[in-house]
Amino acid sequence: MIVRFPATAEGLLPAEDALTVGDPRVVQFLGALSARLLAPSVARAHPELGSLGFFLRRAELARTAAHLRKTDPHTVRRPRGLVFHVPPANVDTVFVYSWALSALAGNRNVVRLSSRSAGAADAVLAALNDALADADPVIARTQRMVSYGRDDVLTAELSAACDLRVLWGGDASVTALRRFPLSPLARDLAFPDRSSFAVLSAPGWLAAPGDVQRAAADGYANDVYWFDQAACSSPRTLYVAGTPADAEKALDGFRRELADAVHRRGWTVDAAMAVEKRIRTYGLAADGRASGVRFTGNELTWLDLTDGAEPPRGWLGTGVVAVARLDGLRDLAPLITPRDQTLSHFGFTGDELRALVTAVPGRGLDRIVPFGQALSFAPVWDGHDLLEEFTTRTTIRV
Amino acid sequence: MPTDTLGVPEVFRLTQPAKEERLLPEIVERLAAHRAGCPPYRQIMDAIGHGADRRYRRLEELPWLPVRMFKTHALKSIPDAAVFKTLTSSGTTGTPSRIFLDQHAAAAQSRMLSRTMQTVLGPHRLPMLLVDTRAILADRRTFSARGAGVLGMMGFGREHAWALDADGAVEPHTVEAFLHKHGDRPFLIFGFTFMVWLHLYELARDRGWDLSNGVLVHSGGWKKLQDRAVSPAEFRARFTADTGLRRIHNFYGMVEQIGTVFLEGPDGGGLYCPDFADVIIRDPRTWAEQPAGTPGLIELVSTLPTSYPGNVLLTEDLGVVHGVDDGAWPGKRFEVLGRLPRAEARGCSDVYAVPAQGRAAL
Repeated sequence: MIVRFPATAEGLLPAEDALTVGDPRVVQFLGALSARLLAPSVARAHPELGSLGFFLRRAELARTAAHLRKTDPHTVRRPRGLVFHVPPANVDTVFVYSWALSALAGNRNVVRLSSRSAGAADAVLAALNDALADADPVIARTQRMVSYGRDDVLTAELSAACDLRVLWGGDASVTALRRFPLSPLARDLAFPDRSSFAVLSAPGWLAAPGDVQRAAADGYANDVYWFDQAACSSPRTLYVAGTPADAEKALDGFRRELADAVHRRGWTVDAAMAVEKRIRTYGLAADGRASGVRFTGNELTWLDLTDGAEPPRGWLGTGVVAVARLDGLRDLAPLITPRDQTLSHFGFTGDELRALVTAVPGRGLDRIVPFGQALSFAPVWDGHDLLEEFTTRTTIRV
Repeated sequence: MPTDTLGVPEVFRLTQPAKEERLLPEIVERLAAHRAGCPPYRQIMDAIGHGADRRYRRLEELPWLPVRMFKTHALKSIPDAAVFKTLTSSGTTGTPSRIFLDQHAAAAQSRMLSRTMQTVLGPHRLPMLLVDTRAILADRRTFSARGAGVLGMMGFGREHAWALDADGAVEPHTVEAFLHKHGDRPFLIFGFTFMVWLHLYELARDRGWDLSNGVLVHSGGWKKLQDRAVSPAEFRARFTADTGLRRIHNFYGMVEQIGTVFLEGPDGGGLYCPDFADVIIRDPRTWAEQPAGTPGLIELVSTLPTSYPGNVLLTEDLGVVHGVDDGAWPGKRFEVLGRLPRAEARGCSDVYAVPAQGRAAL
């Protein structure tokens, strides 16, 4: 086992110091971290760290902390205690969001980092350790980020010791980790495999001015390429709502704009990924689920979903847009399953989107965001309010 | 050895223009048959714009299938009842490829493989030294591409001797007994490239074995040898200098085009394509054919597959054509450079990395 943060710390479990909900010492530390992540050199090398830095900026955190500390005569909010985080191996920044909100809630934390983590994760760890110099020593005593290989003894020890276990990753990882018993008072907060898609209003697109269309396509490209279209919230299928004639016309324009946006941003797909995309998209054609597979260079692959085919919820490679037409937004409701997380939209009103949510049978759709915000992390994720989950309430009757 | 009056081997006779003229109509006809017999194949072709009415003027215009499709889908152009043999190749990971043969296809692949190999082995079975362990055939659970390759080659030899024990260590006495009995007449040595180099070469050099009557047929890539900095040219030169072995033939092929083998010519100038097959090197960015001298992804073209749509396959191997109609045998002269790395993606889920299609001996 290696302790990655604090770099000089020893041992698996943090000390028993108490932090408070919205602890100013944590706010101060996260602000110092944010400043380092927003440094131009870091943001240039890892654009996703710019978003993270923005999320953690001091003014925003101070507001969140104040909200957490707000009390009424009948309630006192308190930290949960020790939180054990198991973030996904492949998205380098999720562990920071999960950890930062938990620390802000006043918890002691142990984050298990993947041994495979690299690049952006290493840059974050460097910034974290660097920010410790100006931080209150309580931070180093109460927080731990460790990486270890497959070690059931350590996982069992952390699971037994924690008050809340936060599991991110695929269904298989979540299920495997749930085998390790928690103490009777503790609970799990799990973020398993999810899938996401996008919806475009054909009349809305056709009515939009050119610069609005361009910005929307730009945002869509970001949603698709940023995490190789492999994040849970990356859209895979694009539903186009409108008459066949409108949909065709809107799609023509959107295809052109998206190709331009991808080109403008300089996203590229390497040979291995290009082959991977062919295998997976040809596979959908072989299964009768795609009636058309078209390539705009290696970067963009357009699939026409067969009428009535189940939309692809698995990964298809970076830069695949599966397209299907709907008469209207309401026709999306019966297609939604509990697995579906984020809907990115363009050209609809708030009332139309709210009506859609009401029409969805059972669970499904936790986030509805405009094109370009699919990958923006928020304190409410997968339907869970993380600050609520990371705290507990004491009720008081006088 | 069956040759024409010029002494050119029977399946390495066609110049490139003659080959393209012969192969194109044959393969177009095959693809039409696969369209009719294999609905998933037809659906792929229709989806990518290769409908029944499309016409082709050059081999390079033909639609290729990624070879890994045979791992993800059961693609066959014959009814279930006609399946005579199902070949599987498994790498160390993931699902195996499944290749379906009917009796006619199984016979054809075996016949063409024989004719290709006889080019360098002659018409008769030779005493055979296998640079491998007999155990590779015993354990069906690990019966991998290596086992299948060994088994496929055994038919070309007789009085087989196994150079390695069950632990993979050389048994010098076995080799010396074999050489004592057969070493003064032509004999066959077969093994995977890195094993031949690691286990046979050093011992042969140190013990002064005379391999000058041997024909070495080897396959399986250079990756493990590149780590030891041995190039194909050095491999040949050192064997010749230190053991007298001159007739050395590397070959390249895969279970997805069973029976089609690309064979190193007597000049050591690269791999050659038999008359019923060809190779196209593609630019992985534009997918256009690369000119000679420029590396790219290897596409394999063969008339052999009739029971499954494997005539035009895009491999995940990198290669380069060194010359056309300019070597010991006519046609394209090419080299396999290595494997395309795996596609990796970041994402929230468990594993997005996918194993690349392994290169298998036959």
